[in-house]
Amino acid sequence: MRSWDDGKGDRKESLRRLRQALSQSRSDLWRGWKVYRRSLLAVAGLIMVIFVTTISIFADEIAVEHPYRNLQDTEDEWVIDWEPRMKEPRSEECDWHEQKIITNTRSKFFLEEVVAESHNKVGEDNRYYKDTLSVIRIIKIEDSKGYDLNSSLLYIDPANSSILILTPELYNNSTLNLGVWVTYEFNNEAMHHSWLPDGYDVCIFGTTDTGQDLFSKVLYGSRVSLKIGFTVATLTVTIGTIVGSISGYYGGRVDEVIMRFCDIFFAVPGLILAMAFVAALGSVMSLTIPVWFGVLVPILFLVTVTQSYLLSTVLDGDRISDRTMNIVMQYRGPLLSLLCFFFFVGLLPAPAWPEFFGISESLGWRLGAALGIIVVIGAITLADRKFIQNWDFEGASERLADSFDWTNPLRYLSIRTLAIFVAIVVLFRFSNGSGDEIVLIKDFDRLWKIQAALIITGWPGYARLIRGQVLYVKEMNFVEAARSVGAPPGRIMFRHILPNAWAPLLVAFTLDIGGTILSASGLSFIGLGANPGTAEWGILVSESRDDFLYHPHLMLYPGLAIAATVLGFNLLGDGIRDVADPKNRR
Amino acid sequence: MSDELLLEITNLKKWFPIKEGLLSQTRRYVRAVDGVSLNVTRGETLGIVGESGCGKTTLGRVLMGLIPITSGSVRYSGEDIRKIPNKEIRRKMQIVFQDPGGSMNPRMSVRSIVGEPLLVNGISDGVDLTHKVEELLDSVGLKREHMTRFPHEFSGGQKQRIALARALSLNPEFILLDEPTSALDVSVQAQVLNLLQSIQRSMNLTFVFISHDLAVVRHISDRVAVMYLGKIVELADADEIYRNPRHAYTKVLISAIPKPDPSAKRDSILVEGDVPSPIDPPPGCAFGHRLQHPEWEKSVDMDLSLREVSPGHWVQPCPCCTKDLSDQVIEELDPIQSKGSSETPE
Amino acid sequence: MKLHEFVVRRLLLLIPVIVGVVIFTFSVAHLIPADPAATQCGDKCGIIIDYTDDGEPITAYQANRERLGMNEGVDVQFKKYVTRLFEGDWGESETYNRPVLDVVKDAAPITLEMSFFALMIAYPVGITLGILSAVRQDKMFDHVMRFFGIAFVSLPIFWFAMMLQLYFATGSAMGGVCDPIFGTDGGCFPVYGRHDTGFTYPEDGFVWFFPEGGTGFHLVDSWFVSDAKLSTIPDEWNTRWLLFKDTLLHLALPCIALGVSSAGSLLRYMRASLLEVLHEDYVRTARAKGLAESRVILVHACRNALVPIVTILGFSIGGAIGGAVLTETIFAFNGMGRVAVTSITSIDYTVIMGVTLVTSIIFLLSNLIVDITYAIIDPRVRLE
Repeated sequence: MRSWDDGKGDRKESLRRLRQALSQSRSDLWRGWKVYRRSLLAVAGLIMVIFVTTISIFADEIAVEHPYRNLQDTEDEWVIDWEPRMKEPRSEECDWHEQKIITNTRSKFFLEEVVAESHNKVGEDNRYYKDTLSVIRIIKIEDSKGYDLNSSLLYIDPANSSILILTPELYNNSTLNLGVWVTYEFNNEAMHHSWLPDGYDVCIFGTTDTGQDLFSKVLYGSRVSLKIGFTVATLTVTIGTIVGSISGYYGGRVDEVIMRFCDIFFAVPGLILAMAFVAALGSVMSLTIPVWFGVLVPILFLVTVTQSYLLSTVLDGDRISDRTMNIVMQYRGPLLSLLCFFFFVGLLPAPAWPEFFGISESLGWRLGAALGIIVVIGAITLADRKFIQNWDFEGASERLADSFDWTNPLRYLSIRTLAIFVAIVVLFRFSNGSGDEIVLIKDFDRLWKIQAALIITGWPGYARLIRGQVLYVKEMNFVEAARSVGAPPGRIMFRHILPNAWAPLLVAFTLDIGGTILSASGLSFIGLGANPGTAEWGILVSESRDDFLYHPHLMLYPGLAIAATVLGFNLLGDGIRDVADPKNRR
Repeated sequence: MSDELLLEITNLKKWFPIKEGLLSQTRRYVRAVDGVSLNVTRGETLGIVGESGCGKTTLGRVLMGLIPITSGSVRYSGEDIRKIPNKEIRRKMQIVFQDPGGSMNPRMSVRSIVGEPLLVNGISDGVDLTHKVEELLDSVGLKREHMTRFPHEFSGGQKQRIALARALSLNPEFILLDEPTSALDVSVQAQVLNLLQSIQRSMNLTFVFISHDLAVVRHISDRVAVMYLGKIVELADADEIYRNPRHAYTKVLISAIPKPDPSAKRDSILVEGDVPSPIDPPPGCAFGHRLQHPEWEKSVDMDLSLREVSPGHWVQPCPCCTKDLSDQVIEELDPIQSKGSSETPE
Repeated sequence: MKLHEFVVRRLLLLIPVIVGVVIFTFSVAHLIPADPAATQCGDKCGIIIDYTDDGEPITAYQANRERLGMNEGVDVQFKKYVTRLFEGDWGESETYNRPVLDVVKDAAPITLEMSFFALMIAYPVGITLGILSAVRQDKMFDHVMRFFGIAFVSLPIFWFAMMLQLYFATGSAMGGVCDPIFGTDGGCFPVYGRHDTGFTYPEDGFVWFFPEGGTGFHLVDSWFVSDAKLSTIPDEWNTRWLLFKDTLLHLALPCIALGVSSAGSLLRYMRASLLEVLHEDYVRTARAKGLAESRVILVHACRNALVPIVTILGFSIGGAIGGAVLTETIFAFNGMGRVAVTSITSIDYTVIMGVTLVTSIIFLLSNLIVDITYAIIDPRVRLE
């Protein structure tokens, strides 16, 4: 058994290498930035992207109106209306407020004062409250049928501008039993923001047909768009990379099948394909996966990650000339998969999974069991190479103990550790569902549906891109050199091929965020995306369609927001392309 | 140098299929290596020369086991390399590639590049690996500080030293040098060659040195094999082959070596025609076909396997390239046929 | 590989893809969770319309299921679907009340026409600007063009189309820049529809232009086909030129909206491609020979720079057909895109299958033509 002090040299070495890698990446970044900043457009793109991202993060602080002004509103759906409707940007009517005054009860108690108040708002404690407004002038008074009344029926209290005083004619008039509607201009100093000039406070971009502040909706729309863009781009890139690298690395029949499958996706124009998928996902209300599947996937992932490693270090290395062993070798792929299958499904029989995880219905048990399996697999994976190298039962336990090189914690900084960590997090995050299903996305709403559709339609493009890259890098000499010293396929893939193939991927990723925002807003525009009323740019444009000729501001700003965001990401991607271009190195 | 055979290559063939036609059927093959037999004894340096496209690089790849053999066999100390576990081959046989820059992952430091064989074979890691890499860098004449740098920070000669250090890291018995100097300047070439020789002496290594540069091969090799279109046409001691070349192709090659003395008479033999394609090569003597030699047709039905003309000097017998020899062969084989053919008027 | 071998090979490769698309459309349509049998009868599903021989009642819903073949297994349904596809029976549309094949047959030419003209606008513009940009590399003009190249790609088609409607289809009174010259709404270009309403008449809820005897391509039909029913249109309108002009003008805005992103990407590709070619030796040689710069660029460089541009055409066609979904919705064209939107929103899944199949076949065929063209221009392609 090694003691902590024995590992001193290793720890020091690991730290040194870590520091070196950090400084290396820092200098790489700096060199990249030096190339990047040469292009004014690229810098402008970066600024635009940072700007949009900042705005979406601080939308709560910047926006004048908030989606949760009413309790029934959600982040996506805005129900409340703000008077006045469909006003041009900076229209003076934006500072007007209409308030209903019930007169009949007041006459009973001879109340002649009314406090000028805003609509209901939702406070921090989720309770309704109303802001007191200070009235500047009274614009008009209408009865319940909408007829104008004499504006002298009501006046502002000279002592307190928030109080309206009713004249006796008003509350004694029995024809006005149903109440009157007062429109007044109020001083909305409270809604001012430091960065906005005076008077630009409420309708910066005008109001929508339901009276909501367009500026606020556009701000909140950036959240939806960026969320869709990042999620879809990340997932398509991940799936595309996995499939594409498998296809490119193994080639042959696997490659053929995968590429023909991709061809089918390419045969249907993107937007129509996405529309079909949105329709097909129509009634899926929540995205769930069975528990056994959710547990099996990370484990099988780990197994496949280690499989190549095990195969090449243990089995492939020591081909035994025995005939039976040769046969085993021949079918080692399927045999090993079978072994894994029986271990995970047969040992803990599939029908028993719910019971296995359902012990006393407790989350702890389920997680404990899952974690146990992960730890076992992880231990095998993390075990030192020296242990796996020496495939001998004699003294195995000692070597096993030795192989957990606990004296150097830095050794655990590896992809495999990361994979295990992610698996654990995923399990913690998603195993709060009951029964034998893990709820991945509880509320699989229409926004999720377009994301799912765009992911399904998007990955073949990346698969093709990555495949090409892998094929290109695979032919390079250093890959053959690595193979000639006996590097296992996993190492060749992750250490040699992918690090040299990621540059076009990063460019495509950035460009795809823009493209996804465009497609998602397009889908929303034709009514297949977000729900009507959502603060989503495509929906906002589509809602303005009825009378955009008369109120162009309704469509102008959300459209500009889409165009500017997409432009930002495209410029950014273009800049990164310049950096990644070998012609511009140094 | 002992007489122990390290590598025995018997009738080795490597054909690459060409996919063509509507359904991608294989109709034709590129015969990159087409029946090569060679022996390499422990501790010697065997040079393989030939013009580009003659299959020397493929031969190297095949005998390293990097690409599968089509037919024939390669034996490493008496054992078929297809039966030796991959891991063991990798430990005993190493390769240094032609393009030193391209054979190194641009994203890995020198420590990772040189240490990779040790790491993936589970021999060492951590601080131990660093020490081993330091030693290896010392042995090829690089500084220890170079360990943290990246390939693009080195010159061609330095890169080739790094590649050599990587090849040496597993303590191999055999190293295949695939044109290790062709990408280098002449002055650097000499340094690298001297380094190779001193390492060979100190570690008792066996080299197969592939090159198209006859001067370099002569400098380093004990024996030289001349390859033409996937076949070996002549094999002899280095001095013998340069002094007394028997095959017409070898003569042409040797005459093409630039002379250091500019006043010396240029006596290079010029050859008409192009190198025939290794796809469906002509039957019989390929070089005779290229020369459009009048007696080429005779070689079609002949057994063209190498003959020992003097001790250790093997030549491909053929009526057009090695006239004297082939006549002798033909007579040995079938006097009637040879008579008939020589007497038949055209 | 010879050219004809290449063509045959590509055609053979097309077969599995088309089979895949057929399977794909079928399975997508069957993934759609809505029950078409229930949708068709609505609240009358429970009504008994008939009795079986045993006297069991058959409700409207059951009859619908029977008629739509939903009681059979998926494999049987698929087999039936495929045989019917080949027989030309693509099913009956519920929303249009017509056979799907007819709906698609009417819609496809409209989309094709629009995409064609969109690319006709995009290609000259994109290529010219790309050449100019490359020639003036790193000058102000180049920077501006590079910006526009990216900006064009970044424009949301639907928004750009509406902006076009606003600015080029309305007079100054409504915020546009056009003075009323022709068209409706007081603008320069018509905002809406494939034809002026004066020239069209609705039939069966589907706006028809030439019900019989036409090719379906409205621009062609407006000039060549005369239909008896057209005589119902007032005489002073019923001249070919007026009809043709009207048909052409209605294409203007949708085509610009559709073409602009293609023009943007073409600009960028052309610029990159030409810059690459301009560094080639043969261009330097041409310059060294003392040829005029314009000749060097137009004859020697552009000819070679244009070759890879052909491949972009495939992508452009796909983009145009996809983008047609948006422009057709905005400009109220009854093309494939609009049919697709209508069928998907009303879950009319015979039409969904038909439209997906036809768009992908159009797309595949146009890509095939592009590939063959490329193989003719650049024989190296055939070798792969």
